[in-house]
Amino acid sequence: MRAPESPIVPRERALTRLGILAWSSIAVSLFLIFFVAREADATMGGELQRIFYFHVPAAWAAYLAFGVVFLGSVAYLRTGARRWDLLAHSAAEVGVLFTSLVLITGPIWAKPVWGTYWQWDARLTSALVMWLTYVGYLLLRGLSTDPSRTGRLAAVVGLIGFVNVPIVHFSVQWWRTLHPSGPTVANLEQSSGLGPPELIAFFASLIAFTLLFAWLMAARVRLGRLSDRVDQLELAL
Amino acid sequence: MSELTWLFIAFLAVWAGLGIYLFSLSARQKRLERRLSDIEPRS
Repeated sequence: MRAPESPIVPRERALTRLGILAWSSIAVSLFLIFFVAREADATMGGELQRIFYFHVPAAWAAYLAFGVVFLGSVAYLRTGARRWDLLAHSAAEVGVLFTSLVLITGPIWAKPVWGTYWQWDARLTSALVMWLTYVGYLLLRGLSTDPSRTGRLAAVVGLIGFVNVPIVHFSVQWWRTLHPSGPTVANLEQSSGLGPPELIAFFASLIAFTLLFAWLMAARVRLGRLSDRVDQLELAL
Repeated sequence: MSELTWLFIAFLAVWAGLGIYLFSLSARQKRLERRLSDIEPRS
């Protein structure tokens, strides 16, 4: 009899459906970004400000990913179950991908608007530190051949590394930075400077990136399970 | 460079980044499936 699958292992059909849903919502959000959202003020980059509709949702997806790394690490340290380690490892990889997109799109917007690609201000520096922390996490996993020891070490890095995530998010409120501050939920239109069409495009993109994150996570976890199966069979030979 | 050129570069970077990662996932998946099909008959 087949052993019951772990709840975090996605089934093929669910993975395909999630992928279709994610890419359909990306298509919808692209339409909204380019045909519904209006051009921004010249001080925010005019047409270039449309980068924001990908830059911010990518940052949101990175926060989600590193939150999953944190939770997976806590669960792994408590239970020692491999599935939590795999979940944290997968989330770190996906999080590094999204943070890389943030660190690439940000400077592309900054160059024509600020006149420079990079400023060592609190938001940019803390985001770079966050990226380096999780790149280090991934490199650490390749250093040891003992999976249990590597898992525990990585989990500790996953726990400590998460401390920086709220610092990245709140840095624009805690310190004076060049980076535009984010909107507050209480008065969204006024604090964001966005009208209803722009807010619709923004939230559509946020949902699309959340679905994309979930799909990439599911695909990466499936890959990890397959890798574990190959390792087990190789050991048994 | 014009605003639209910068915008194009940014979107190209986003899709290239996602594309490279998806390609890497797919390549790793295929390599593991090949390895699995080699090992399974022997185990």
